[in-house]
Amino acid sequence: MAESRDDFIIAIRSAFLNKSTKQKFSLLTLVFFSIVIIILSSFNFKAITVTKSVIKEIVYRSSFIVSIPENLIKSSYVNLNEYTNFYKEYKQTKEELDQLKSENISTKIIKSENEELKSLIDGYTITSNKILAKVIVDHESPFLRSIIINKGSKEKIKIGTNIYDRSYLVGRVIEVNYTNSRVLLLTDLNSNIPVSITPGNVQAIVVGNGDKKGEIKYIKNDLINKIDGQGIAYTSGTGSIFKSGIPVGTIDLKDENEKILINFYSDFSQLKYVFAEIDELIPTPVETKANDQTQVSSNTEQIKLDLISDELQILEDSNTKFLEENKELNTLTNDLTKQIEILKSENEYQKSVIQQHNLDQEELEFLRLNLIYSSRCQSKKLFSTGFQVGTEEYKRCIMRKGKISD
Amino acid sequence: MIRFQKKNLLYKIYTWLPILALFISVFNEFDFNYLNIDYFSFNFPFILIFYFALKAYQRFDYFLVFLAGLFNDTVVGLPLGISSMSYILICIFATYLRNITISPNLIKDWFYFLFIISLINSINFSVLFLFFSYELDITLFIVNNFFTFLFYIIFSIFFKRYLKSLDD
Repeated sequence: MAESRDDFIIAIRSAFLNKSTKQKFSLLTLVFFSIVIIILSSFNFKAITVTKSVIKEIVYRSSFIVSIPENLIKSSYVNLNEYTNFYKEYKQTKEELDQLKSENISTKIIKSENEELKSLIDGYTITSNKILAKVIVDHESPFLRSIIINKGSKEKIKIGTNIYDRSYLVGRVIEVNYTNSRVLLLTDLNSNIPVSITPGNVQAIVVGNGDKKGEIKYIKNDLINKIDGQGIAYTSGTGSIFKSGIPVGTIDLKDENEKILINFYSDFSQLKYVFAEIDELIPTPVETKANDQTQVSSNTEQIKLDLISDELQILEDSNTKFLEENKELNTLTNDLTKQIEILKSENEYQKSVIQQHNLDQEELEFLRLNLIYSSRCQSKKLFSTGFQVGTEEYKRCIMRKGKISD
Repeated sequence: MIRFQKKNLLYKIYTWLPILALFISVFNEFDFNYLNIDYFSFNFPFILIFYFALKAYQRFDYFLVFLAGLFNDTVVGLPLGISSMSYILICIFATYLRNITISPNLIKDWFYFLFIISLINSINFSVLFLFFSYELDITLFIVNNFFTFLFYIIFSIFFKRYLKSLDD
């Protein structure tokens, strides 16, 4: 018993303390180092933060270089898939583009109005400047969903900066280094987004499910029924984590576990480039507020006027087009009315011919039957059972094939 | 079989292959996650570290393993030091197993590996959840654990061939 205990202690000691021939550190030292690093990294000491930042700069760049062959294979696969669906997508995109062009003008008007109203309410305007950032590391950990982008504090990226794929929200910055940043994707379990769901204007929180979708949580039970399969979720702006009105995804109704899920607009596994929105507040000084306001409002008015004149031009164009179409349709209608009148008269003539023909047919039938049944229907002098020739009764009798009464 | 001239540069690189593979895998997250198979993932560094620590491979420097852990934390976004600790703990357990084993057996090693990775993943999960307030899905950890366990036997065949090629 004591011997086996000694063996155990020797084995443990050997595992922890013995250095092999080429080992620089014992395993115990390295475990100790690890624990110290974990503890220190949980505190925000400046030295540790700087060291971490330097390590991250090196590691992200190295990771990007090491990932090139794998990314090449991945992108080739994606490209191949894209080429096969190219024509179908082209047609769809063309239709969408036409639709969007028409909606764009109204959006611009609303946007300028919105900016004007915001500047009136808050006393400052937010200028949004979206900068393009490249995704340098997008390794999907099985437990965490995040990406690294090649823009950092150098480009005024801050913690909380909203990140977009086109105009769709994909996440927010959670860690900023000098030349790169880490973005927490919406699919991560730690991601919480306050959203509004239309129709119904239902307020909820979307939490990432760690896979590809989001799950709607923290919603009142009586409001769940208001949500249908056609619903769209966009950021509500509550809590000031995300700006309001950014499209997030569409509602995917309850799954087998009675959860309401969200299909995000973006495919987070295919992100190559994203946009980081850098907001800058431009305060309105009190003394120059009136002048500035006039200037701002005049500028806004000018933009609005330009947009309205554009819209007017489009409306005039479409109006002229409609008038021309209307003229053509009028002439067509006249022609058709004439044709209808001609056809009507022809129809009447044919009707009268048919009527005459029917009468002739009836006369012929009478004459034929008269030859056969006249003796039965004629009146006799002594026993007056028939009718006088030429009368209506006589004719009816003939048509009844000699029967005096029905 | 490729034969190298000893002291050749290519031979030297070949002898460092496990460490190179470890660094490439931590930089590149070599775990087929991009295949998008639901829940499928495995931890290649765990397999590699356990095997080569168990075989006491001379070029397998523990300090480099420690560094690989730091890099892994940075790439994945975990708090610095978590993976380093996991990797070094694997080395410790593997060294302990080597010390107490007289006649090595692959199946015994395999089940010991299951015990080790389950323990380490549990420690990781607890530390992340309790001290760093990470929201984590335990199912993913269990599935990852299971696949890592399954893949050990496959990779150990390749690693064995690699070590044999060096002995030749």
